[in-house]
Amino acid sequence: MKKYFLGIDSGSTLCKAVVMNTEGILDTYAVKTGWNPYVSARESLEVLKKRNGLSDDEVCIATTGYGREAIDFADYTVTEITCHAYGGVYLMPDIQGIIDIGGQDSKVIQIQNGRPINFLMNDKCAAGTGRFLKMACDTLEIPLESIDEFTHPQEAVSINSMCTVFAESEIIGLLAMQKDRSQIMAGVLQSIARKIQQQAGKIDFIKDKPILMTGGLSRSQKLIETIADFIGFEVKTCPQALFAGAIGACIHAMNKEKN
Amino acid sequence: MMEVSFAIFRKQEGEERLSMSELSLPSQFESFGDARKQGFIAVKNLKEQGKKVAGVFCTYAPQELILAAGAVPIGLCAFSDETIPDAEKVLPRNLCPLVKSSYGFAITEKCPYMYFSDLMIGETTCDGKKKMYELLGKIKNMHVMQLPQNQTDEISKELWYQEVLRLKARIEQDFGVTITDEDIRAAIKTKNEERKVLKEFYELSKACPPPITGSEQLKVLYGSQFKFDQETKIREIREIIEKIKADQEKGVQNVSPSAKRILITGCPLAGVTEKVVKAIEESGGVVVAYENCIGIKPVERLVDETMDDPYRAIADRYLQIGCSVMTPNNNRFELLSRLVKEFKVDGVVEMTLQACHTYNLETAQIRELMQKEDVPFISIETDYSTSDVAQLKTRLAAFIEMLP
Repeated sequence: MKKYFLGIDSGSTLCKAVVMNTEGILDTYAVKTGWNPYVSARESLEVLKKRNGLSDDEVCIATTGYGREAIDFADYTVTEITCHAYGGVYLMPDIQGIIDIGGQDSKVIQIQNGRPINFLMNDKCAAGTGRFLKMACDTLEIPLESIDEFTHPQEAVSINSMCTVFAESEIIGLLAMQKDRSQIMAGVLQSIARKIQQQAGKIDFIKDKPILMTGGLSRSQKLIETIADFIGFEVKTCPQALFAGAIGACIHAMNKEKN
Repeated sequence: MMEVSFAIFRKQEGEERLSMSELSLPSQFESFGDARKQGFIAVKNLKEQGKKVAGVFCTYAPQELILAAGAVPIGLCAFSDETIPDAEKVLPRNLCPLVKSSYGFAITEKCPYMYFSDLMIGETTCDGKKKMYELLGKIKNMHVMQLPQNQTDEISKELWYQEVLRLKARIEQDFGVTITDEDIRAAIKTKNEERKVLKEFYELSKACPPPITGSEQLKVLYGSQFKFDQETKIREIREIIEKIKADQEKGVQNVSPSAKRILITGCPLAGVTEKVVKAIEESGGVVVAYENCIGIKPVERLVDETMDDPYRAIADRYLQIGCSVMTPNNNRFELLSRLVKEFKVDGVVEMTLQACHTYNLETAQIRELMQKEDVPFISIETDYSTSDVAQLKTRLAAFIEMLP
């Protein structure tokens, strides 16, 4: 069995990579996926190998995410749903579910005894995804990483359009009415939370266990609070939640190598 | 290489129909599967011999009546998005792609089977189809049967029986034949033979691992619709069965024993929606059974050959097909519960088509039923595009990864 496991989660926006051994996480790396998922995945691999002094023959590689099919140097490929579940349970063992909001999709996964048992995924629509938030940030001229500073949940104005294109027009209309952009941003977060609520509502969650939020949007505490409010369950995150998919890929590779 | 201009098929106002020998194959010849493709030539030959062709859409159309009239039944449901833009000039966008595609093929005359149909038979199944038939009736020789939506009450059964008789009269009139008692009994017998041999064929996949993949199984199930001689069709399916059995005896293994056994249920699946089968079978699964229109749903029941009134026997049998247009649709639930056990299924994948209200609504009950049966279940909604292939793959692969 190889000693090191390298998980690459090639998402639509960010390529996240993690190197682990059986003791735990050794290093992480994230880079823009760019137009060629192969290039960013290769870069992640090389950077992590170099930084940790690893050679090819001691590293087992597993890939996940949209770009996984484009990466030909992996020992294993596995879907991001399974990976987020494994990674999520690794980061927070007592969770009953995961909400993963990424660049182009959102997923709600149900976990039982550390295993994924059910999931819902949005399709053919940017509502409730990172793209939707990115559009709003661009229109409002708010940097994506500072949305929490620009959000006033108490004074949220409602954004009714689920469609990203129509929502943009709606936001422009609200700006023309001189609404404050922090009120509008709060409305945008509520719109994402409503979409997640629709998905989470189809899963039988229980009261006393937390749901872990992963993916790029887990960096906004205000969004997490808004989602928790809408779905009525405790939603938590942790600093490494962005890497949940990549961690899960490592764990998948570890399990496979053990067998 | 056949000449590929179908434009000459189009009959201009007042123009004499071209003689059959001048006909050539349509432009999308290459895009259809082999049987369907071969069928183009076969049906053209049959027409040249003076045979009548009756096109059918749903599984409720009693094919025995067509066979008894010495005519050829052909499936008309379309499974490609090629003609959807044409259809959408008339039909709404948010409509089932099968309905749109079928109508599109009819108006563009790109489907040779529709072109060759002397009569098209539809039933009042779903809203999309029945309203589409009204439009189709303006350009084609169309007969619509009033399908009741309940399978047990006496009034529904009687209505359907009367509709079977009305279809018989229509076929006799349009084709200029008289269907004798002997004709109809012979047709019942041969259709039953076909069902028995098809059942024997798909039940081979009860074996663990199954002797063939799901896409191989589907090829035969779908292709059998385009074999127009009953005896040849039955013989060819029998030959496939014997070949598979011989391979099994030799210990040939085509499917990995670790492949997860999947049953597909839901809307009609063929053509472009085979993307679902492909996604499953590229992700560590194998489709062992199809509880679909092309598959087990219309084949399991036989027409009672002992009944005094053969038309009553036909009506009783066809009405029991478990399509989601029925309310309640208990026969689908019973069939599914039985199949998941008989085929030792690891997971059930339901495929519904966008805007197919009846199947999409029934999903909730199917999910509940599968929970009761303790069988993992996923429902995916798709259309006739290929834009969701990557997403389907992720979803179905994740589902298969989750199976214990």
